[in-house]
Amino acid sequence: MPVARLTLDEVKAAIAFDQPGLVATTDGASITVTGTFHVAESLDAISPEGPLAAFDLRIELSFKFPHDEPKVFETGGRIPRTPERHINGGGDCCVTVWEDWLARTNDATFAAYLTGPLREYFLGQHVFELTGEWPFDERPHGENGLYEAYAEVLGIRNRKKEVLYHLRLLSKDWPRGHWPCPCGSGKKLRHCHREEMMALHGKLPPPLARRMLRRLKSYQRP
Amino acid sequence: MTIHGKRTAKSHDDVLEDIAQSLDIPESRFIEAQERYNSLGEWLDREDSSLSRFKPEISPQGSFLLGTVIRPLTEADEYDVDLVCLLQGTLADFTQKTLKESVGREVKLYAKARNMTTGPKEGRRCWTLHYADGAQFHMDVLPAIPDAQRYRKVMAVYGHTDLAKSDVLSGQAIAITDNTLPQYAQQTDDWPLSNPMGYAAWFKSRMAAQLMERKKAFAARQTIQASVDDIPDYKVKTPLQRAIQLLKRHRDIMFAEEGRHKPISIIITTLAAHSYNEEQTISTALQSILRGMDQYIEIRDGVAWIPNPVNPEENFADKWAEEPKKRKNFFAWLEQARHDFAAYLRASRFDAMPLVLKEALGSRLVDRSLASVLPAAASPVAPAVVKAASDPADRRTDAAVREIERAGPQSKPWKK
Repeated sequence: MPVARLTLDEVKAAIAFDQPGLVATTDGASITVTGTFHVAESLDAISPEGPLAAFDLRIELSFKFPHDEPKVFETGGRIPRTPERHINGGGDCCVTVWEDWLARTNDATFAAYLTGPLREYFLGQHVFELTGEWPFDERPHGENGLYEAYAEVLGIRNRKKEVLYHLRLLSKDWPRGHWPCPCGSGKKLRHCHREEMMALHGKLPPPLARRMLRRLKSYQRP
Repeated sequence: MTIHGKRTAKSHDDVLEDIAQSLDIPESRFIEAQERYNSLGEWLDREDSSLSRFKPEISPQGSFLLGTVIRPLTEADEYDVDLVCLLQGTLADFTQKTLKESVGREVKLYAKARNMTTGPKEGRRCWTLHYADGAQFHMDVLPAIPDAQRYRKVMAVYGHTDLAKSDVLSGQAIAITDNTLPQYAQQTDDWPLSNPMGYAAWFKSRMAAQLMERKKAFAARQTIQASVDDIPDYKVKTPLQRAIQLLKRHRDIMFAEEGRHKPISIIITTLAAHSYNEEQTISTALQSILRGMDQYIEIRDGVAWIPNPVNPEENFADKWAEEPKKRKNFFAWLEQARHDFAAYLRASRFDAMPLVLKEALGSRLVDRSLASVLPAAASPVAPAVVKAASDPADRRTDAAVREIERAGPQSKPWKK
């Protein structure tokens, strides 16, 4: 299957009007977006008082976006580099659980990333500056947060075994009908929740399920 | 300085409206132009005119008709007033050459009778009449005869049946002349076709609701009871017309030095009208137009095609193929316009116009405008970037957060 590559034109089009403070360039190996990111009050209305906030940042984009998660660095020195402020050890911003966003969104374009997770992240940072509190729910640390996110995506209870089994099923290009149904009825899948699993399979394609599984397993190794 | 009827701006729209108003042709000049073309029309239709049996009529076309005229960059530049000179004849009465020349003869006599120092100049399709008396405009007079029937046939042949059937869009199509064609002096029935009235009707249809709104508001402001139907189009301006005026101004300034291949008004106007969706404000109209206007450029057999909406076989961008600089300039202009207007609309407070947009629209004109609608703004040069909302924990931020919560947040960062 041909993999769509992110193009510089697509990135430029995404920022052309809506982020006039950003500039996109490429060195042939990746795309870099730098400048001032404006947190708009509204995506469509023009606010007399201007944007809510503005952050200087650098976004490093792989041509394999959205397969590869972008790396975002706040460059204005405004956000302390601590986990409490959702900054990763490498200094990059912990914008979202990438697979979670990919599975939830029906528009995984760079433009949608800017108006979705990235705007929400920096709006969150702005609110934290003002109030000391995060406006949106936070997930628990590390592994537990991942399980919680994935369980939400799958629409199931947050039980590690169930999450893992669902992801194993969904990792196959075609869910195996003779495997036991994940509902625990003891019946074969094809005689039980087949429809539901097929629907989930459509929503969460095998490569994504495999990636989620890999990420969970990375915590299980000693 | 006394300010009459000007209120203090409270939004980006108030500021842009005032700037666009200052781009308008002054009403006195507009009326003067009207009087002059009416006077030419009366001359052509006078009793001993050689054309009188064809009941010649002069009417405006182009930006004068569309309400998108803007003042020229300098006092030395002129408005060009595009006019159709319509003769009630048929293709059997004329060759292209005899039509062009009979109109030319009468226009020459007119110039002489009015003691104009220069006679009309012949162009490919038009006669251009210059006024040397400081009127600051010239008139392009396009000789034409009605030819809707043939136009509709051609549209039908190309499969544009809706167009062919529409009285409004094709009922006023005309045959025009072109002195570069081989059959120019021959009696033929294949004259070039044109449809400026149909285009204007299409343009108007793209803003019908807002035009009605503005007329209602205008009627309500009159002391004497006025009916909406009595208000001429030119008395009001829709957000689409205002946005086009601002975009044309941006274009004029950007290509002030080297304007030979600048994006042409009909392209800007057509793409803007397509992407306009009856937005109620100039700012949101500009936003829709700038975000989406390039989507209406088609590619036909590898050729960029901006169809005339009332004649899709006509490509407004037909010069792009032979002169790639025109294409390049259009996209360079669009990129710049997006950047400059967005720097104001999406990144600045309404009373802090960034320098980039100010310069892109002409600093002198903008400063004059800002001084009148933002009297308190002592420092007109504002930082291009707003660093943070000044009002802590403000209601705007709360509202933005709540809106996201309603839609379901997409980003749920985790702690590590």
